[in-house]
Amino acid sequence: MLCQNCQQREAIVQLSKTENGQTENLFLCEVCAKQTHEVSFIFDPTIVPEFLQALFGVNPSLVEQLSEQACPKCGLTFSKITQAGKLGCSTCYETFETQLEQLLRRVHGGGQNVGKVPARRGVAIKNRMKERKLKEKLQILIQQEAFEEAAVVRDQIRQSEQAKGGEDHDA
Amino acid sequence: MTRRELFLQQSAWMAETDTPVVISSRVRLARNLEDFPFPHVLSSEGASQVEQTVSQVLNDTLVDKEQSYISLTELNRIEHQVLIEKHLISPSLSASSGARGVALAPDHRYAVMVNEEDHLRIQVLLPGKQLLESYRLATALDDVLEEKLDFAYRESQGYLTACPTNVGTGLRASVMAHVPGLVMTKQVQRVFGALTHLGLAVRGLYGEGSQAFGHMFQVSNQITFGKSEEDILTHLEAVTGQIVEHELQARNLLQIKMPMLLEDKVWRARGTLQNARLLSSEDAMHLLSHDRLGSDMGLLPKIKDGFATLIVDTRPGCLQYILDRELDLSQRDEERARLIRERIAE
Repeated sequence: MLCQNCQQREAIVQLSKTENGQTENLFLCEVCAKQTHEVSFIFDPTIVPEFLQALFGVNPSLVEQLSEQACPKCGLTFSKITQAGKLGCSTCYETFETQLEQLLRRVHGGGQNVGKVPARRGVAIKNRMKERKLKEKLQILIQQEAFEEAAVVRDQIRQSEQAKGGEDHDA
Repeated sequence: MTRRELFLQQSAWMAETDTPVVISSRVRLARNLEDFPFPHVLSSEGASQVEQTVSQVLNDTLVDKEQSYISLTELNRIEHQVLIEKHLISPSLSASSGARGVALAPDHRYAVMVNEEDHLRIQVLLPGKQLLESYRLATALDDVLEEKLDFAYRESQGYLTACPTNVGTGLRASVMAHVPGLVMTKQVQRVFGALTHLGLAVRGLYGEGSQAFGHMFQVSNQITFGKSEEDILTHLEAVTGQIVEHELQARNLLQIKMPMLLEDKVWRARGTLQNARLLSSEDAMHLLSHDRLGSDMGLLPKIKDGFATLIVDTRPGCLQYILDRELDLSQRDEERARLIRERIAE
């Protein structure tokens, strides 16, 4: 098999990259593989903002179009954020949500937030996330025709919904 | 505990463990207060308000009654350097200006930075391979602080951070690996190069690339969003296991292929450390690394003080702080050699 990069030398190295459960394979010759390694493995945190600027600015027309929109809380415009490679405040995440979605996909490979939820303020959020996970599980079980297990999960979802109804009532 | 005692304390992460290769584990969580702009756009009054609010909560709530919040504006240059060399604050926190500081556990197992790139950086540093344990402590501290502070969080984006590279979990986990075997068998690029393709970052801890002094590298996760904390930690832990295995294989290879050369190298290092009258910081790290390799492999008796402690205590800031006076470059080389001689003799 020929190297997928130079298409000249025999491929001897297989590079596997796994992101969000999807594996991409790349077959390279020794020369090309070495080159990838040499440029890639030393990480200098100070250059991150530069890369972020490039990523923010990938679609110049979008940047231009939105550059005058300012965050109502901190007053930063999107072009200022692009220059700094940093957002100004928590409200920026709401104001520039659309552009950030693209950026998060490029930086982190996309997906949705599945991390920790704040203990005190996140009770409702936690329940919603749990329900979402259960519903996804239910779909998979139905597809697999595992109906007995699916019934158990369905009951769990019902329970959780009822508990939520109770909370609302109490409030 | 006086400030001097607190600063002289051997940090928890430097303790010797039975595990070779992985020197220490670190976890940090980035958090911001909802009501304030992020530190890089914060006015100086705003920064003072954040510091006041957070330090109050840190002093009131936690866990260790003896922990103390230290404002960096109160510290001199050498004290800053000590905290950096012990990995308790970042160089950029030290270099920035305005209201900022750190809350330190008495044994330094955690350090919460205030007004770094984010309002709070909750860090936990433990010796050896203890990523999950480190996370458990960090998330417990996070919970305690969250009872009193409103952290910026959105359901769709998770914890909000100044830099989008930290958003979501705000979690950066890393291990510090000592890999002289990989360096000597010229496998550093082969092994670490592969990691960047797995969403991990590698950097030499002191000096760059394969020339890293002390043969120490830090491996950390890059992706903070779209994965759970557990996934991030398990992934890094699995990769760390692989690194350890490759390093042990390399050491094995050295012992089979060139036993005399290896033995000579580690004994030569011990001999120099025991007898040298001048040692530069780089020299010391290089020799201590070989010495550690020798004692890990059972070729040399262990030094009581331990590898990480000696590396850190002989860095310029710590050395001057221990001796309690300013030293120029050549005085430092002399005192460094003396300190190592004395500690080995103990």
